[in-house]
Amino acid sequence: MPVLDELKAQIARRLPELDMVIGWGHGYDSLHRTPLFIENEADIDKLVFDPLCVHNLATYLTRHGNAKKIGVVVKGCDSRSVVELLQEKLVSRDNVVIFGLPCEGVADLGKVKRALTDLGLDIGRVRETATGGGKLTLTVSGKEVVLPMSEVMADKCGRCRYHNAVLHDEFAGTPVEGQAKDAYADVASFESQTLEERMEFWREQMERCVRCYACRNACPLCVCRDYCIAQSRDPGWVSQRDGLEEKFFFQMIHAMHLAGRCTECGECERACPVDIPLLLLKRKLGKEIKDLFDYSAGTELEIKPPLLAFKVEEDNINERGW
Amino acid sequence: MAAKFLATDKLTEWIAELSASRQVLVPVKEQGAVVFRPYGKGVTPVLDRQANVPPKGSIFPASQRLMTFTYTKNPEDLGQVAVEVHETVEAEPTVVFGGRPCDARGFTVFDRVYDCKKVQDPYYKARRENTLFVTLACADPENACFCHWVGSSPSDPDGSDVLMTPIEGGFLVEDVSKRGKALVASKLLTDGSKRAKEAQAVKDAAQAALGEAWSPEKAPAKLLEKFDDMGFWEDVSAKCISCGACTYLCPTCYCFNVTDERKGMRGERIRTWDNCMSFQFTMEASGHNPRPTKAHRLKNRVGHKFSYYPDIHGGVFACCGCGRCIKLCPVSVDIREIVRLSVERPVSKPEKK
Amino acid sequence: MDKEMRIVGFLCNWCSYGGADTAGVGRFLQPTDLRIIRLPCSGRIDPLFVLKTLIGGADGVLVSGCHPRDCHYSEGNYYARRRLEVLKRFLPVIGIDQGRFEYTWVSASEGQRWQHVVTTFTNQIHALGPIQRIGKDAQARACAFGRTLEVDIPA
Repeated sequence: MPVLDELKAQIARRLPELDMVIGWGHGYDSLHRTPLFIENEADIDKLVFDPLCVHNLATYLTRHGNAKKIGVVVKGCDSRSVVELLQEKLVSRDNVVIFGLPCEGVADLGKVKRALTDLGLDIGRVRETATGGGKLTLTVSGKEVVLPMSEVMADKCGRCRYHNAVLHDEFAGTPVEGQAKDAYADVASFESQTLEERMEFWREQMERCVRCYACRNACPLCVCRDYCIAQSRDPGWVSQRDGLEEKFFFQMIHAMHLAGRCTECGECERACPVDIPLLLLKRKLGKEIKDLFDYSAGTELEIKPPLLAFKVEEDNINERGW
Repeated sequence: MAAKFLATDKLTEWIAELSASRQVLVPVKEQGAVVFRPYGKGVTPVLDRQANVPPKGSIFPASQRLMTFTYTKNPEDLGQVAVEVHETVEAEPTVVFGGRPCDARGFTVFDRVYDCKKVQDPYYKARRENTLFVTLACADPENACFCHWVGSSPSDPDGSDVLMTPIEGGFLVEDVSKRGKALVASKLLTDGSKRAKEAQAVKDAAQAALGEAWSPEKAPAKLLEKFDDMGFWEDVSAKCISCGACTYLCPTCYCFNVTDERKGMRGERIRTWDNCMSFQFTMEASGHNPRPTKAHRLKNRVGHKFSYYPDIHGGVFACCGCGRCIKLCPVSVDIREIVRLSVERPVSKPEKK
Repeated sequence: MDKEMRIVGFLCNWCSYGGADTAGVGRFLQPTDLRIIRLPCSGRIDPLFVLKTLIGGADGVLVSGCHPRDCHYSEGNYYARRRLEVLKRFLPVIGIDQGRFEYTWVSASEGQRWQHVVTTFTNQIHALGPIQRIGKDAQARACAFGRTLEVDIPA
């Protein structure tokens, strides 16, 4: 049975005990999917699952109050966010039903856009899209373009260590075998530049920022949202000025508040409407957390996140003898 | 005024010529996005697509200093504090080059609010009067374009000063306002009257490519009917993540916040973009918030654009149909879908479960 | 003599502030670049304090608390140790030299050690030179709109 049909059957079976199930449905054009909120049996048929289902739906779990019992459809990376939320007791295990899926990678629409631009075409004019067979077949401006998934797959998929949902109440399809290696090469490559070059890079990138907070709101672990200190006047961490320092400092707030919690799902970078490579900052933190505490966020339910805990004798921290 | 022609290979020359006496803002590629930046040596304009960020900031900056203030204590009597205020109205002559009709049209929505009989905002006016628009007509609309729904078109001159239409070998250049006449006086532009028909064909083709428009004429009334239907609004806002991408990137969104940023004895009062999708937008000093949920806020945003503004301003929608809110929304909330549903779906029974 | 660098110190009230006081009582000579901010415990230190200080233009930040196992509030410095180690390792990705931020443990009786810490750190910062601010040249690079307002408010 195809994965999607199996998933639909599972949801149909569990829906009576749930207030809603969150999955993906068709978006405004053939290249875009969109979150789908299933409350009735009739809605189940609108469900889709393919490499265009990029959204991390775990972000909705903390928006409906703990009273509601919610089902959420997750890929491997998404499920880590759910587990991290459970680790931090931000979501109650009894209130969430996890529909896990296997995933072989999602498309990065930024890469699709670049690939089409190179061919003199525009992503905004794609009329038809077919996924499957390890490629994207697009009809755009009267032409057919075939893009192999290997070329347009998101960077995070190339280093994915959790192809299947790490925690699930239901699982549809067959688990994908294998695990990529992640040596944080992207961070190492960035840090091969001089300090001045790195700072110049961030200057150039943050100039574009409009402080829309899409990165913050798309993040499943950023739960303060309405009460975020970046928007408060008391305490006033950041002023209202549209200055480079202000915009950059917001990214510092976001990164620091995610240290040891970020599952590197990449939603922040995907959500950014002006294409700022925000994931890099969180990847750096993820690398350091891994080196220091051998911890990857959202992989084991029972572990306390490292910055919420301590050891009297630390394994990897040099006491900095002066 | 007779139309002119600009050859493609003369394009950068013309931009350079314009930038001799003014600041010229052109769309530029940065990483995967297109934003407006001042033209200068080494800057390559990108004219084949709509910019991610509209040139709204040319007239209405993301943060704008309104005044500076300095406190001084009387050395004889330290309890006496005087404050000196210094207004900062400034505007540099600017040309926004290479925007689309929807970008320039956004300011006609602003004008009814910022420069009308009752209120004239000096900061806005100074910049508005000093900023000209050389707009590129669209030859090929995108999936999310719906300018024809809201009374505009891919070659709408409303709000622009010069309209350029891409044709074989270059552009037809038409001055579409009084101010535009001065801009097209350049020797780089030759007579284009023979090419006008060709340009019209391009404009017609673009209009046809948009397909048939759905008319939102019933929307103002229907949206009001749905004001108390929170079930409907909860339904359509479920996937919204309450960020501000749609608002800040919208050419017609004009709300602002005024804050005093103070450092010791000196400070400045600034006006910054504000976002009705954010929780703090209607947060009152008492702690009460009349729009506590995203359902309330989305209702306001759609209502404002397609109901309240048209009611006050003679039926004109506060939307230019550029589609950025759809394309750049992280979860693809589609305002077209919401407006259509508001008209086509009956009012639901009060209070969902 | 070099111009003074702007170095900010976050000291815990019980051990480190006491240690700095002991150094003062003992008349130990130290460079005067360091400006101290007193906190109840090193565990109170939000890594954002350090980042705001550095991004705001300080050339160096020093954090000092009680020795691990000796925290006045038992556990504060264990949390601080983790947070500050992560912060220190994070700095390079934003283009700030790791040497601009140090955290150390100085107890109330360690006046001489405090003198040593301050002198060493101040020399370290002088060697690194003034910090590059991320807002540098912002006025030059900003386009007309969204005119960044990093420049000081005119007097």
